[in-house]
Amino acid sequence: MNDLMLFLNEVWIARLALLRGLGVTVSISLLAILAGSLLGVGVGLGLVYGNRLLRLVFRGYTDIIRGTPVLVLVLASYYIFSTVGLDLGPFQAGVLALAVFCSSHVGEILRGALQAIPIGQTEAAKAIGLTFGQTFGSVLWPQALRQILPTWVNTAAEMVKASTLLSVIGVAELLLRTQEIISRNFLSLQFYFLAGFLYFLINYGIERLGKYVERKTAVPS
Amino acid sequence: MNAILRAGAIALATSIFLSGAAFAQQATSRLDEVLARGHLIVGTGSTNAPWHFKGADDKLQGFDVDMGHIIAKALFNDPDKVEFVNQSSDARIPNITTGKVDITCQFMTVTGARAQQVAFTIPYYREGVGLMMKAGGAYKDYAELKAAGSKVTVAVLQNVYAEDMVHAALPQAKVDQYDAQDLIYQALNSGRADAVATDQSSIGWFMIQNAGRYVDAGYGWGPQTYACAVKRGDQDWLNFVNTALHEAMSGVEFDTYAKSFKTWFGKDLPPPQIGFPVEFK
Repeated sequence: MNDLMLFLNEVWIARLALLRGLGVTVSISLLAILAGSLLGVGVGLGLVYGNRLLRLVFRGYTDIIRGTPVLVLVLASYYIFSTVGLDLGPFQAGVLALAVFCSSHVGEILRGALQAIPIGQTEAAKAIGLTFGQTFGSVLWPQALRQILPTWVNTAAEMVKASTLLSVIGVAELLLRTQEIISRNFLSLQFYFLAGFLYFLINYGIERLGKYVERKTAVPS
Repeated sequence: MNAILRAGAIALATSIFLSGAAFAQQATSRLDEVLARGHLIVGTGSTNAPWHFKGADDKLQGFDVDMGHIIAKALFNDPDKVEFVNQSSDARIPNITTGKVDITCQFMTVTGARAQQVAFTIPYYREGVGLMMKAGGAYKDYAELKAAGSKVTVAVLQNVYAEDMVHAALPQAKVDQYDAQDLIYQALNSGRADAVATDQSSIGWFMIQNAGRYVDAGYGWGPQTYACAVKRGDQDWLNFVNTALHEAMSGVEFDTYAKSFKTWFGKDLPPPQIGFPVEFK
């Protein structure tokens, strides 16, 4: 009981630091997921509909990015750009690395979903005179979206977890904040547990959001 | 004759060019850059008390942080004209070599391998391992711990060299390894260990926070030198920082240094002897 009071007291002292860390984690994740998804849709389209050269370029991009550990991407975007004169701050470099990583996954997910749609649908759309934009917007995208959602939720949750790696380059996100608090009061187990719980809450929120969109886009049966 | 004249002209031109290049280099010293910028950028961490950590007020503080303030004071006569870049221990050297920070002060142990990558300043602290026991316990000091031989259990942070490290001071002691700093203190509190072996700075800080409950066994070993580090090849900047640190430890800023030392390590420093400079004794 005494221990619990001690812990709660320390949480109260650290409430602002924790909230700030949570805010940074949420904003990094949101920015990375949004930018990564937009970029990823472009990559996916390039992978499926690009000409031979474009396909080759996007294939190389996804394979290299997906095959690289996120930590390496984070360090690369923080250090490599500064050697060519573009000095990114830790937050910007971190968001860039996560967005790029996210885009390679989303691109690949979209490619799979688009290629799973029978070719006959594209042909039918052409036959009734739809442009490519109309075909994609009205025929392919709605179907692909249903395919994508579950794996997209998975990728988004991965991004939230990968944001912890930004602590290495000094972004004061939730994990680094937690470590700062622990270095002051030595309550490591309790505060790591709390951080884990907060990460779970964020990912649970993403999962619920995904479920909601799934319901909204489901084909009425 | 003509050839000699030409050779002379070339030599003259080369020397003018080279001295021009030397001037250019001096003009772009990090020192001038920092002065023009108006504030100093120091790389340090935020998760190691009493070196660099966030207090309950969420402010960065500690001995490393104070070194940053001392250098800022020397530069701008204002200890607060300093920006701290938060970096992990792994980022200490890359952040210097890529120019993300002007200087790193982050309990950096001076080693030959590191000195090939960055330029170390003069040391500002000597770290070593110490032994801490509960006040009023079975053993009073290091001599008694050593005499007790294998009856003594020492709690230590898990490390490949932990066993050898303890045995260097207490050859027969039983060594218990734990994987977090709080656990070695818990082992001592619960009586599972008779002493903890850890950095003297950690012991000093822990004893400040828990006044009267613990004693230092009074023996230190395993010396390590802590120094700040700057980018290689900028002697001007290195000289400046060295001067600032030197005067903090032996000159006009001694009181600031001593106050910081007392705050984080709990020990009073005697002022340097007045008269003949201590450095040349």
